[in-house]
Amino acid sequence: MEGLLNLWHATGLANFTIPALVMMAVGCGLLYLAIAKGFEPLLLVPIGFGAILTNIPVAGLAEPGGLLYYVYYIGIDSGVFPLLIFMGVGALTDFSALIANPRMLLLGAAAQFGIFATLFGAIALNYVPGFEFTLKDASAIAIIGGADGPTAIFLASKLAPELLGAIAVAAYSYMALVPIIQPPIMRALTSEQERNIEMPQLRVVSKKEKILFPLVVLSLTIMFLPAATPLVGMFCLGNLMRECGVVDRLSNTAQNELINITTIFLGLAVGSKLAADQFLTVETLGILVLGALAFSIGTASGVFMAKIMNRLSSNPINPLVGAAGVSAVPMAARVVNKVGLEANPHNFLLMHAMGPNVAGVLGSAVAAGILLALVG
Amino acid sequence: MDIVSLLLQAGNLMITGMVGVFVFLSILIFAVKNLAKLAGPELSNNTSNQAASKSSTGVSSAHIAAITAAIAQYRTKK
Repeated sequence: MEGLLNLWHATGLANFTIPALVMMAVGCGLLYLAIAKGFEPLLLVPIGFGAILTNIPVAGLAEPGGLLYYVYYIGIDSGVFPLLIFMGVGALTDFSALIANPRMLLLGAAAQFGIFATLFGAIALNYVPGFEFTLKDASAIAIIGGADGPTAIFLASKLAPELLGAIAVAAYSYMALVPIIQPPIMRALTSEQERNIEMPQLRVVSKKEKILFPLVVLSLTIMFLPAATPLVGMFCLGNLMRECGVVDRLSNTAQNELINITTIFLGLAVGSKLAADQFLTVETLGILVLGALAFSIGTASGVFMAKIMNRLSSNPINPLVGAAGVSAVPMAARVVNKVGLEANPHNFLLMHAMGPNVAGVLGSAVAAGILLALVG
Repeated sequence: MDIVSLLLQAGNLMITGMVGVFVFLSILIFAVKNLAKLAGPELSNNTSNQAASKSSTGVSSAHIAAITAAIAQYRTKK
């Protein structure tokens, strides 16, 4: 009888707690969004499954000695996984649209206002009882506005590891929701006439320029913002491997196998942070609200900047392309193209939007570097 | 009281951060424009020259030859 009782105490049924069950439901919810709705499936499948594994009673997968604990410790606590992903993103990124029209970097800079405005908002949220965000917490939350998963995870792991689960889930969920969040803001801030603006075709970019570009970016980062060199350095390495043309094998590995392997473990490690005691808090709700705010402000400030540039510049600039400044490559650029085509069926803005789009990746890496240098 | 000082810090960070991002990316714009002067036009000149030479000599004369041959064939058939 006693043996049976001991066996019963070793079952999951006897050890379930309500919060753990809620978190497993959250994990199933993420799996549903990924599989049925197609929301960032590459990340939400491992994150959702990781959330289920983490909350299994008795097994202790996310406690010292458990698999997920070590995956997190090796990959995210050290900051290695987001950086490896960033190298892959660099190898996947084509900068020619930006090199052809470098002024688009200003749009990538303007959209980072979403990050810094949200930082202010996160601190202001401390007036609501139940919220106690420090400056580090607020910075880690605000980086959601950079719309860049690896950057958000990297910064959160350095500044506020206890909020990492909520921040990563918010960042990836909102990136999947870009086609729903951005268009209403873009339409509200531009006139029909502005959305109609056609932009001149981009010039051809030489191979030499493409090879030198990552080296120029890296040397500027080394000189002015060494705190951003982990992110920018790996990004530039990936991009150089892509453009130099002599290490196609390495470039292919960085773009495919390596980024895929890292994504599996990154997702699982993020899922391991979705433990009930860390996720089921008021702060998570606050992070979700602030994340949406960050995306919206970033989109709006990008569009405003593009409007100003259109007024001042001799070459017409369609204000819609400013919305692509919030990185979220290439979704944001596709959204710009779609909204542009609604206004003018002959206006293909995709290539023009890719400039601010990749500028946004650099912008958010620079913003992360600034936050690390000032707050970290 | 504490929140007020945090807000001030956050505001300060907002201004420094935005200025930092803009200054950094402006320097990058300057650098990329210079990069285009150094490494860009050379290749675009070459391609435009090639395209021009092709259209003025090879391609157009071949086209003309083909068209005249076709016309001649059409006339002889009649």
